[in-house]
Amino acid sequence: MNTTTINRRRFLQWTGAGTFAVLSAQLTLEKLASAATTTPLPLGTPILVMVTLYGGNDGLNTVVPFTDPTYQSARSNIALPSAQLLPISDTLAFNSAMPEINALWAQNQVAIVQGVGYPDANLSHFTSMAIWQTASLTSDISSGWLGRWLDIQPHSPFNAIGIGSVLPPMLVGQKSVASMLDLGGIQLPSGPGSTLLPRLGRTSSSDVPLEASAATSISDLFATAQLIGPLVTKSPSGSYLNEQLSLVSTLINANVPTRVWEVNLSSFDTHAGEPTYQNALLAEVSAAIGAFMTSISAGSRAQDVTVMIYSEFGRRVGSNASLGTDHGTAAPVFVIGNSVKGGLYGEQPSLDALDPNGNLVMSTDFRDVYGGLLQDVLMTSVSDVIPSWSTGLSVH
Amino acid sequence: MNRTATTTQRLVTARLLHRFNFGPTPGQYVSLLKQGLGATQATVLERHADDPGLRAVAAPYLPDLGPYPSSSAAATAFYDAMTQGNTELVTWWLDRMALAHYPLAERMTWFWHGHWATSVSKVAYPLPMQIQNNTLRSMAFANFNDMAKKMVVDGALNFWLDNEENYVESPNENLAREFMELFTLGVNEFNQNDVTAAALALTGYQTVQSNGRVTFYPKQHYSKSLTVRGKSGPLDAETLASLLVARHQNAEFIAERVWFRFVTSKTKAPPTLAASFANREVSSLVEALVRSPAWSDPAHALVKSPVEWFVGACRALRVRPSSLSSSSLQWCLSQMGQIPFNPPNVGGWPYDEAWLNGAALQYRFDLAQLIVAKGDLAPLKGPASKMVQACADWLGVAEWSRRTASTLAGSTSDPADLVVAALCAPEYVVSA
Repeated sequence: MNTTTINRRRFLQWTGAGTFAVLSAQLTLEKLASAATTTPLPLGTPILVMVTLYGGNDGLNTVVPFTDPTYQSARSNIALPSAQLLPISDTLAFNSAMPEINALWAQNQVAIVQGVGYPDANLSHFTSMAIWQTASLTSDISSGWLGRWLDIQPHSPFNAIGIGSVLPPMLVGQKSVASMLDLGGIQLPSGPGSTLLPRLGRTSSSDVPLEASAATSISDLFATAQLIGPLVTKSPSGSYLNEQLSLVSTLINANVPTRVWEVNLSSFDTHAGEPTYQNALLAEVSAAIGAFMTSISAGSRAQDVTVMIYSEFGRRVGSNASLGTDHGTAAPVFVIGNSVKGGLYGEQPSLDALDPNGNLVMSTDFRDVYGGLLQDVLMTSVSDVIPSWSTGLSVH
Repeated sequence: MNRTATTTQRLVTARLLHRFNFGPTPGQYVSLLKQGLGATQATVLERHADDPGLRAVAAPYLPDLGPYPSSSAAATAFYDAMTQGNTELVTWWLDRMALAHYPLAERMTWFWHGHWATSVSKVAYPLPMQIQNNTLRSMAFANFNDMAKKMVVDGALNFWLDNEENYVESPNENLAREFMELFTLGVNEFNQNDVTAAALALTGYQTVQSNGRVTFYPKQHYSKSLTVRGKSGPLDAETLASLLVARHQNAEFIAERVWFRFVTSKTKAPPTLAASFANREVSSLVEALVRSPAWSDPAHALVKSPVEWFVGACRALRVRPSSLSSSSLQWCLSQMGQIPFNPPNVGGWPYDEAWLNGAALQYRFDLAQLIVAKGDLAPLKGPASKMVQACADWLGVAEWSRRTASTLAGSTSDPADLVVAALCAPEYVVSA
């Protein structure tokens, strides 16, 4: 009859939804049809993948200022020997656990923004992560920065997807939240009452706005399950971060209409035994990113995907007596992608002009990194998302 | 007198029961509709020192587990005790909410828990969390000045906000800033100079993490004159708290927080609410709120938080939370994003739309099934033709939409299915 009908039918065929329960088909068809009109995500639409390293990754043992004598003297018990590093400039080198990221660097696909932090550093994990995820220095704003981006998008359960089952604060807006996808896929409710549930996903003329939102969240679950469920039947394998990122690359290459993805890895809080633990974690990150970029580059969206890797803070310049480092401040942020202009951005903070706590003085505000991604990847005005901020550092 | 309650009466009565009492027990909604608004207000406001519903709910005994073990041999028993204590604490509180005959006290404790949002994720030990919870309960209707003075030296809160790392020579401003911003005055009602001075006023208090004991060491305290919000003199934690609570912004701020959590997140509180708190008596504020004309305004809907939704269902179905599998219960609540004692950050719990996502819905549905499997469905007995309305009267829903009414009407042959669906329906998830 018209293109909508065709899209709808194609969509149902494509998702294998022929067996879609009669009751729910009637209710979620509009949802599915609207997903179909935006499915596949048009080629060339930029996609952002956020990688959060929880715990405070030690930036100085990730991108190492190996020629600075203070690097050796301030942390002599954990300083990495120069011979084992992967040099990227006359003064900086990657930790040797990162060969895959080093290879991407050689192809100019890695932007390293140096000395990233926020003003008046707070050494609390919680406060720091809240600041990074809300992009607000004050705790009166509890919505996440990507949640606020969601707030100004046309509603769809597919706009942003986090891997896991707990919504990270960055993906919670004031009006909208991202969808979450477990590594095991989406479990549709079953058992007593489950056949009734899809019928409750219709909005009703008597609904107040919040009731309509509650109904929409029900139909969203079924829509997401129908679209994504068939794509993730194969269980990914490998390290935890690799599992998450391979699920994301599968879905990106399947043209799921999602602009923002979120994955994460914990345990970077290396107060003790840092060389052992951090090297293992960085190896996991590097291998997972390498495999992810290989998969993306082999698909039709090689130019579309940008990855950002960050942690809530870096660590103290001076090491402690337990072969570790305590909470610090500024650290490098990685932005990776085929369309990224690889290289060093911002200034490497001095190891000799520290703040009163013995920490690096930040040189780039993290909101400028977000700002660049909002402008170049999410095509959004910075000030629409980040309070009292309008600038961005472009690495594209 | 009309024998049939009007739509507005049904709305107001349902709101008062759900928002101040975690929802009605079986028969309570219909009974209060007959008795009228005055009786409903009096009922939801009722408090008793000895609540008969709580006599059989024993508080967990939580020993001081002491410092973290230094040997791996002792670690297993230590972490088991931590986990068990924290689990018991959650179940104990949920039992209190669900079983109280006079739930307002637990409801206000729950509000204050979200206000002084302290998380066991950092405090780690259950004992200081229990001590804080008992403080919040015992002072839930107290004068706010007394509460603020008590909370500023609460062990769990001090540890949570790093006050044990707050030294005269290198102040940590975490507690000082949040005390003004989130607990007493609100954002933009103070400046960095106030934060710096308040942090010094809070020096000298050291906390034992495992038991929450806070000790004041005068020699480590900054004893010279400080200036906070234009007032100068020597300050310690208690005098700082009183200085801040005395400001008129404190009345406005607390009134706004109460309005936000009980009435709506969409509009500001009317000035009369702050006026009812001029004396800082929480009981006056709560009474003014319950008796407010705001309840008949259709715009004042809010989404029940997962715990409020869960407790409401337990009260209606006469299910004791501790009778459910505690691992299933905690798993579902954690996946829905809300376990008591574990707020996501010092700003407290999310609200409204944040609770409405598809991933959480899977677990809401699972939890509804668990409750219904244990629940007393007797209130649904009766002819099928009246079952859908009986369900609304039982759960305290003012009115089903046509969507939900027709869905439920299709399941009258299986009451368990019907109730699971009713608990997941927009009209029950939202206090419209």
